[in-house]
Amino acid sequence: MRAPLTILSLVCVVTLPLAGQTSVTGVRPLSFGTVFPGVASVVSRTDPANSGQFDLKGHPGGTASLTFLLPAVMTGPAGATLPLVFGGSDGGFSASQSINTQVAFDPRTPYLATFVGNRASVFLGGTANPSPGQRAGSYTGTVTLTVVFF
Amino acid sequence: MYTATKVTIIALALLTAGVVTAQAQNNASINVSAAVQQPIVVLAGPNLTFGPVFPGVPKAIALGSPSAGRFDVTGQASAPVSMTFVVPSNLTFGANNLPIASWVGSWNGLNDPAGSGFTPSAGATAATFSGTGTLFVFVGATVTPSVSQVAGAYVGTVQMTVTY
Repeated sequence: MRAPLTILSLVCVVTLPLAGQTSVTGVRPLSFGTVFPGVASVVSRTDPANSGQFDLKGHPGGTASLTFLLPAVMTGPAGATLPLVFGGSDGGFSASQSINTQVAFDPRTPYLATFVGNRASVFLGGTANPSPGQRAGSYTGTVTLTVVFF
Repeated sequence: MYTATKVTIIALALLTAGVVTAQAQNNASINVSAAVQQPIVVLAGPNLTFGPVFPGVPKAIALGSPSAGRFDVTGQASAPVSMTFVVPSNLTFGANNLPIASWVGSWNGLNDPAGSGFTPSAGATAATFSGTGTLFVFVGATVTPSVSQVAGAYVGTVQMTVTY
């Protein structure tokens, strides 16, 4: 009778801290601001005001797999679409959460990041390519970052 | 007691192994947004018309003339744009050429040729939409027929491109 109780108590002690020590939070949207038809708009991952940002909480020295779900277009008025392009260095990982000390990566493929402390940030840039006849209005989309902590 | 301890140790070993290989998955989303401004629409207005021209007598069409050409443009209010032109060096009538000696142009947010002057060319000219998103571009030129210019109806095309 005592053995199952002991096991149960060990389970609680070991697993509860894990659940509370990792997280991903969307901090800042990727904003292209005002865009003119026919003129590509580029937002750098180092743009402190317009780049997208996620904050991560993990384990010091731990690793995490970062996988983006990137939209191919933004959707606007009457279903109009605005093409988006993400390049091979539009993703940035900062183990210090500083936008100025990023390691570039390709956000189109999974990236394995290593924590130094228990907090890090992921930044995202991209390019919007409106056509010359792009319908005027507000366009939006969603970027999702999935992080697997090891 | 021995059995209980053994079970506990085995369980602890399993848990430790589980901790080492444990994965925690999280995800979050952010928005992507853009505010697209009005697209540019260019419409051809009145043609540039020289009317009757006499051999050996140059004829100029001033920007303020009713015979001046005009393009009507709409776009994003107050936005800057760039204009480029393809202008002919001659009007043609079959194999005959009627030389165009010079071009003149002006742009204005209002439908008034007394705007900002420029020379229509392949080089970019900066302009700005009015506060209501209108832009009027006026074009004039001077033809220089020779004294032996062949009589006929000479025509040509002026092309304007406007981009943000």
